[in-house]
Amino acid sequence: MSTSSLLLALLGDARLPSGGHTQSAGLEPALRAGTTPAEVPAYLRARLRTVTRVEAGTAVVARAVAAEGGDLDAVEAAWAARTPSPALRANGRRLGRGYLRVLQTLWPGPTDDRARHWARPVVLGLLAHRADLCPVDLARLVGYDDAQTVTAALLKLEPGDPLQATAWVRDLLPDIDRMARQLAPLRTPDEIPSGGAPLIERWAQTHDTTTERLFSA
Amino acid sequence: MPETTKTPARAMRLGVAGPVGTGKSSLIALLCRALSDRLRMAVITNDIYTDEDARFLKSAGVLDPERIRPVETGACPHTAIRDDVTANLLAVEDMEADFDPLDLVVIESGGDNLTATFSPALVDAQLFVLDVAGGGDVVRKGGPGIARADLLIVNKTDLGPYVSVDVERMVREGSAAREGRPVIGLSRTDAASIDELVAWVLGMLDTHRSGDHTPIDPGPMAPHTHADGTTHSHTPGRASAAAGPGA
Ligand SMILES: Nc1nc2c(ncn2[C@@H]2O[C@H](COP(=O)(O)OP(=O)(O)O)[C@@H](O)[C@H]2O)c(=O)[nH]1
Ligand SMILES: [Mg+2]
Repeated sequence: MSTSSLLLALLGDARLPSGGHTQSAGLEPALRAGTTPAEVPAYLRARLRTVTRVEAGTAVVARAVAAEGGDLDAVEAAWAARTPSPALRANGRRLGRGYLRVLQTLWPGPTDDRARHWARPVVLGLLAHRADLCPVDLARLVGYDDAQTVTAALLKLEPGDPLQATAWVRDLLPDIDRMARQLAPLRTPDEIPSGGAPLIERWAQTHDTTTERLFSA
Repeated sequence: MPETTKTPARAMRLGVAGPVGTGKSSLIALLCRALSDRLRMAVITNDIYTDEDARFLKSAGVLDPERIRPVETGACPHTAIRDDVTANLLAVEDMEADFDPLDLVVIESGGDNLTATFSPALVDAQLFVLDVAGGGDVVRKGGPGIARADLLIVNKTDLGPYVSVDVERMVREGSAAREGRPVIGLSRTDAASIDELVAWVLGMLDTHRSGDHTPIDPGPMAPHTHADGTTHSHTPGRASAAAGPGA
């Protein structure tokens, strides 16, 4: 019996202790740079077409490579090449370490020493392989988590109705699902999408040297 | 990409909790001043909105500024020390790797309220700081930190006369609430009290190194009564569910 959809719920839950509460998915610096709360739905879609697609594609490919006993360093390199901001790469690797704790505690097994330096989507791919989360659910997880991270952070940063934020995520679900089904068949690092969002990358750089901030990135 | 060749030594991890303004940062500065020539130390702060605590400690000049790092908590300082310790734990590991070997890593919680205590997944020992200016009855109000932290600090005893608090009585009531666990009445103007604190930390470090100390969990928010007369306790999961995603 497949428990993939329940695993998706477990891993997509904000209460998963992997360090997610320190993240705004770029929203904090975006607001600082002049993005308005009303533009958040557009911000969510922009991420889903660019940086989130890279993350989700990387995770799916990492899962496939892990399943074949391949070299996850190559997947990590492909992700890094698609993530120009050093701050975002450092943050992604910190998040990777958070998920590595989840992996090693909940689904223990022999893990490459280099895993400590892998970015979140690479570790998530390995986790999905070990925990038996199917590729499409894995891509859904990345898309869903990104949207929830943005909207949960919005509630901490700006006044607003929490249900409105939830409605925005709900409205995005068909888009997340479409992305997930497109990405699920990916197998090799060169197939990982490479869309970028230069403003998001630049804001991340600014945020990295900002001292008064609620979120790491 | 950094490659670690050996696993860094594990330092004793000491948590400092307690409400905002009770003197946590000041106490950490006292510890650094007294111990940094004897122990290899590092400090992690959990500021809520700024790196104020980290800056205060850096400017106090009591420790190499490189060894003081702030961690962002996404406006959830209680989550960062209890429900999801990931960010703090990674910061501790980074400190241990960057300044290997370390003897002591002190983690200051972002002051929150009376109920926030550290998870044993993050710290080996913790102290809880109150101050006399908060009123003599705070110790009687209790809570997991007051009742069961490894050490309770009643800080700013020098202010007792100005706020009409009987300091000795407050310390005595603290000891009673803690069933004999240690309480120290502290003031930065009272050298003997600082010595007592330093001795406690050194003693804890010895116990920790000998493997005789088991990290305790003071426990979650205590059961409490609401205006409608119902009494209940918050399990960690339900508490965070009620507070919203990631809270
Ligand atoms: N009178 C007195 N004031 C103190 C003492 N320790 C700290 N304070 C003051 O209490 C205030 C809050 O201290 P701080 O360390 O920032 O508290 P934190 O928010 O718990 O970190 C500051 O103005 C300190 O100068 C003390 O022993 N005596
Ligand atoms: Mg402080």
